[in-house]
Amino acid sequence: MGLPADTLRRLLRRARTMADAKPGPGGPERLLAGRIVANLFFEDSTRTRTSFSVAAKRLGAGVVDLMGFASSVSKGETLVDTALNVEALGVDAITVRARQAGVARAIADAVSCPVVNAGDGRHEHPTQGLLDAYALAQAAGRLDSFDLAGLTVAIVGDIASSRVARSAMAGMSTLGAAVVCVGPPGLAPSGLAALGCRVEHDLDAVLPHADAVMMLRMQFERHDDGKDAPRGEARPSGVIASVREFRAGYALTREREARMKPGAFVMHPGPMNRGLEIDGEVADGPRSIILEQVRAGVAVRMAVLAELLGV
Amino acid sequence: MPSLLIAGGRLLDPASGTDHPLDLAIAEGRIAAIGTPANPRLPHGPADRVIDAQGLLVTPGLIDPHVHLREPGHEHKETTASGAAAAARGGFTTVCCMPNTSPPLDTPELLRFIADRAASILASDLPACRVFPVAAATKGRKGDEPAEILLAAKAGAVAFSDDGDAIASAGVMNRVLTLVKQTGLAFMQHCQDPTMTRGGAMHAGEVALRLGLTGWPRAAEEIIAERDTRLALAVGARYHVQHISSAGTADILRRARATPQGQALITGEASPHHLTLTHHACESYNTNAKVNPPLREQVDVNALKEAVADGTITVLATDHAPHAADEKALPFEEAPMGMVGLETALPLYAEALVHAGAITWPRLIALLTINPARLCNLDALGLGRLAVGGPADITLIDPDLVWTVTPNELTSRSKNSPFLGRTLRGRAVATVVAGTVRHEHPR
Repeated sequence: MGLPADTLRRLLRRARTMADAKPGPGGPERLLAGRIVANLFFEDSTRTRTSFSVAAKRLGAGVVDLMGFASSVSKGETLVDTALNVEALGVDAITVRARQAGVARAIADAVSCPVVNAGDGRHEHPTQGLLDAYALAQAAGRLDSFDLAGLTVAIVGDIASSRVARSAMAGMSTLGAAVVCVGPPGLAPSGLAALGCRVEHDLDAVLPHADAVMMLRMQFERHDDGKDAPRGEARPSGVIASVREFRAGYALTREREARMKPGAFVMHPGPMNRGLEIDGEVADGPRSIILEQVRAGVAVRMAVLAELLGV
Repeated sequence: MPSLLIAGGRLLDPASGTDHPLDLAIAEGRIAAIGTPANPRLPHGPADRVIDAQGLLVTPGLIDPHVHLREPGHEHKETTASGAAAAARGGFTTVCCMPNTSPPLDTPELLRFIADRAASILASDLPACRVFPVAAATKGRKGDEPAEILLAAKAGAVAFSDDGDAIASAGVMNRVLTLVKQTGLAFMQHCQDPTMTRGGAMHAGEVALRLGLTGWPRAAEEIIAERDTRLALAVGARYHVQHISSAGTADILRRARATPQGQALITGEASPHHLTLTHHACESYNTNAKVNPPLREQVDVNALKEAVADGTITVLATDHAPHAADEKALPFEEAPMGMVGLETALPLYAEALVHAGAITWPRLIALLTINPARLCNLDALGLGRLAVGGPADITLIDPDLVWTVTPNELTSRSKNSPFLGRTLRGRAVATVVAGTVRHEHPR
């Protein structure tokens, strides 16, 4: 599963040097000069793909985007075949985003260039987990140690559907934080505890003790395997009875924000459903480090690409 | 047809309770004599060929009541011929093929097509075995209305099943059981409530949660088994639970068999993979371990072994389910379910049950011969036992032969086994069907 703490901290320290670098000689902008990073996105994601692109370009690499496979891949060419073709074009690293769990790993096993998992189904999204840890460490003033010991992080909402939750859970708990997953049983099944977190169903009981509250997007499209509705269509899924019932128990409203621990942070991996899992005023409020997460994403991905390409 | 003498082996025939060093003489496709080594009374003079069975078990030909031979419609995965060859190499002299083909085996005409195929492969001199069809219980296997069950029985069906899917409607199930009862055959259910398993890719447990895969919970199997055993006992129909995966289902079967009609009407089977593997085999998204019902936890594995040991589960079945390599190369969530099993089953059964001390070899052989023969009414043909005058279907087993599973070792058209690379102990070294040696392992 997760990387060991010293590896995570090495990557995070490197991300910090990337974030702190000033333009000019001696900076990172020539580190990957002449290299090409391919973003192989079988599933659409503008924000993650752009973050990887910016990170690669900040290192001087060229970037090619490969997307919109949905139809051709389902016709028979395997995802691994596609990746082998991309590698044969002569790229130096591949980032992979896929709708199904395990795809990045299958591709990494098949190609010889470095592969970054940019999110696979409901499984993992490792650079998101890293950037969440970075943003939290930054907000908590722990950029020197990247030690999250003593911090309690509540991850709230649609845990079952979330690769972000799995990676954040792995990363933050490895770095010392106590992670609590909170949601209704259908979205936060008690079995998640086996993954190294505590599982609670009462957000109001957890709220006063959390140093950070990370809200997750409700992923209607992944409920019930999305077989009945076109993917991405928000609809009552049977996993939650209604939006208002979910909000009554689990949305981060202004009223709930007021009951958070003093100095506690609000996080969200995006994209947000304002007014569903999080109120707009909270997302934009003083506790929010949501945009810091996005900024950290570029630095973290720079560190990961540089590390994997051995520079 | 050359006569044959199998000499010097340990002859196991659970149907008659035989477990002795005995020689066995075969002529004209039938068992001509069974005798002590000193006096093998062969009626027509010396045999054309003598097989030295020193150190071997000599058993009735093994019977697998649950395989998928993919014909018609999916011949790139397997054919009747390639599947029967794999069966012979695994020690099976008879297999019963499931009707989830394309089109499904839901008419007498399609059942006769299987019978024709079966006859033609036995007429060849390739490795082969007897093949009997299990007929679909509902039209198109859709679970909506009963198929022509009475005609199917006349056309050679040895059981009924919509395997691959359960009959979800209790009302339809009740009508099917009523019809099946009239045939004297058994109904075999793939117990899976479809409303609980949509998108289910593996056992609903820790590994599925970690891998981000949709779970297929035990209860989805158990509630169908519970419903059906009640229906079958009420109707008085013979009912068989296929490939039991959950400890709870074994309990349901145990309770059902404890009722007055239970022993006669209700049976259940276990498969090699459910006796030997857990959901951890799916780690790393190993699609060869994706199977329906899914691999579960050690408590389930243990419960299945106990259920075999205490006589709750009386039949073993491979659920041999070939899939092409490119199909299994799909992402785990999209890869088809199932694994080949015919060529690895015997040593896996031995490992899980005999070497582990749960049961003895004679009991294992009963689970692989006379019990499945009775399940499919094949005992009426004399299959599943060793009797003078009966069909000479015989398997010779080296219980201690150690070998490693490799793709080259498998003759099935598909190689989707989670046991590739595994070293196994025990192997069928000769398979005799109707007096002809259809497979022989070089010794």
